[in-house]
Amino acid sequence: MSNSFRTIRSIAKKEIVEFVRDWRTLIAIILIPLLLFPILFIALPLLLESEAAELDALRLDVEWQGAFDDELNTSLSEQKLDITMGTFPVDMENLSDPSSDIERLRSGEVDAILRLKQTGDDTWNYSVIQLSTSEHSREARSRILTELYYWEQSVINRTLTDAGLDPEETLDPVRWEGDEDAANAATSGEKAGLALSMFIPMVLAIWTATSAIQPAIDMTAGERERGTLEALLCLPCTRIELLAGKWLAVATITSVGVGLQIGGLIFAITYLASATSLGVPTISLGAGLLLLFAVVIFAVMVVAFELAIAMKAHSVKEAGTLLGPAILIIIFPALFTQIINLDGVESWWYAVPLVNILLAMRELLLDRIIVDHVAIWAISSALYAGFAAWYAARQFKREDLVASLS
Amino acid sequence: MADALLSIEGVAKHFGDVEALSLIDLEINSGQVIGLVGGNGAGKTTLLRLMAGVMEPTNGSITFQGLPVTNMRSKLGVVPEATGLYHRLTAWENIRFHSRIHGIDDEVAWNRTAHFAKLLSIEDSLGRHTKGFSRGMRQKTALLRALAHGPDILLLDEPTAGLDVTSARTVRSLVGKLRDEGGTVIYSTHHLAEARQVCDRIIIVHNGTVRADGSPEDLMGQTGKESLEDAYVALTSDKARSRSEDNQKEGRIARWWRLFLTGRTPAVEVGEDE
Repeated sequence: MSNSFRTIRSIAKKEIVEFVRDWRTLIAIILIPLLLFPILFIALPLLLESEAAELDALRLDVEWQGAFDDELNTSLSEQKLDITMGTFPVDMENLSDPSSDIERLRSGEVDAILRLKQTGDDTWNYSVIQLSTSEHSREARSRILTELYYWEQSVINRTLTDAGLDPEETLDPVRWEGDEDAANAATSGEKAGLALSMFIPMVLAIWTATSAIQPAIDMTAGERERGTLEALLCLPCTRIELLAGKWLAVATITSVGVGLQIGGLIFAITYLASATSLGVPTISLGAGLLLLFAVVIFAVMVVAFELAIAMKAHSVKEAGTLLGPAILIIIFPALFTQIINLDGVESWWYAVPLVNILLAMRELLLDRIIVDHVAIWAISSALYAGFAAWYAARQFKREDLVASLS
Repeated sequence: MADALLSIEGVAKHFGDVEALSLIDLEINSGQVIGLVGGNGAGKTTLLRLMAGVMEPTNGSITFQGLPVTNMRSKLGVVPEATGLYHRLTAWENIRFHSRIHGIDDEVAWNRTAHFAKLLSIEDSLGRHTKGFSRGMRQKTALLRALAHGPDILLLDEPTAGLDVTSARTVRSLVGKLRDEGGTVIYSTHHLAEARQVCDRIIIVHNGTVRADGSPEDLMGQTGKESLEDAYVALTSDKARSRSEDNQKEGRIARWWRLFLTGRTPAVEVGEDE
């Protein structure tokens, strides 16, 4: 093992040990990434489901004003709506005017008010007065509208039948034949790849950038502020070795965080895949390796860039002030890249910094290896990563780093 | 000279427009404890940093046994003023990290550390995290760290600053022991009594220049004074400048923003008394 490699390894090891000895760091880089997607994809739907079930079980109070219909009344009652008959407001010109009922809704005396006015033999006007900021009122309105729809269908069918027409043929003359899903040539793995390509690159980019910030600041501006950098610079190692050691440490910590997040995501998807029609993505070995290369080169660039910015700062506060907004440089391209149409995308997009890697990840998750695109993003990204490393090296060679602030 | 351990020839150091050191010529021979004495902003720390090879001189050269000192940092042991210990590592882990970068085997480093730790009475604290260490404990640990790889020269930047009497005495005693064993120590301080007690040779640095260089007796004889303090005052009678680090350039935007927020500081009138 060469001396240089041993030095870099020692620096990286020290940085990692020191970093992970802070329990807050362990929560930030292990627990949160690991639980983020399972919480989002599993716990949140479960919570929503439970809340919806709770709402479904509620009995709600509805006042019915105006024309009465037995059939509608029966179906509304079956939806756990307690119907009471009320008086239709005198001189009402507009059914949607809450008028004096507004206070009764606000006080919770009733959850919703159905107003129905017969305008012909088989025609009616209606409105549902509700308080949209109340869950109960919204739910009551929703149940009333659903039953009104079915009642309307029933009225239409009856009218058509009375006129000697077949309701199905009259209302739905052009129909799909067969299984709609079977008509899609994409496999479930490809469909899953498409779904993942819409957010995996964005998550990777944003998480890599954000999770590298804390260690990058701690190992650079933090060292300056704590007064440990001067002693480090007195050691018989070059500034490039120092940068490489710190880069390796930040990259390792970031990779662990991102890896755990992806692990959590895959677990959540696997859970969802067993419960829904969403499949596990299938990509070839070549696409997988290129994907890994894209992630690595992106990490090289981002970590070097963040180390450079943090080293440029004189204090942790200053580094945070500089790097906080710098994250927008990652977030905006990450968002924009999601809406670029991959079919027929112009090749120059693959040379735009950040966008190129994100597009590459999207393409590779769809198992598309387009040689021209790969060549452009690989070469341009290598150049950008090289530039970021060069810039970081410049910052690490600055003489004023010696003057610690402690 | 051929047998000089460290040679400083025509060294000047500028920070932008500020000349921190000018035309320093020194030779450091082995087996001596050399005191760098001077007030705040005199240039002691800058000179030590140049000797430690972490800064390059603007002019001149610094060589260790004929080779550029920047390539010979493994021969030096440095204790900066801030000590530079990692608080989440134990004392031994701090020492071992530095020894490994020096390419020293862990066992060798441990044996040397254990030897000096007994002299400094901190052998029981080597396994403790340095976060709770007192200033004295931190200083002693930094000393152990600087000694673990067996340096030819030890550079100490104000090693007793902020220490209690007992700790300062222990540190001085260790420096004396190192001298007795033939070691070379360069010791920056602004305490003349301490310099007289510990150092064989005193270099007085003032406003970035070497004002005097010799044994305490030489300096007193040179100035015709009876105490080292009087000799120092006589040699540094011109007004001391502000610290070089304080003269950092302020960017145009930063200056505009500062003036916008705080207004101008009124100039101090310097005139004749009424």
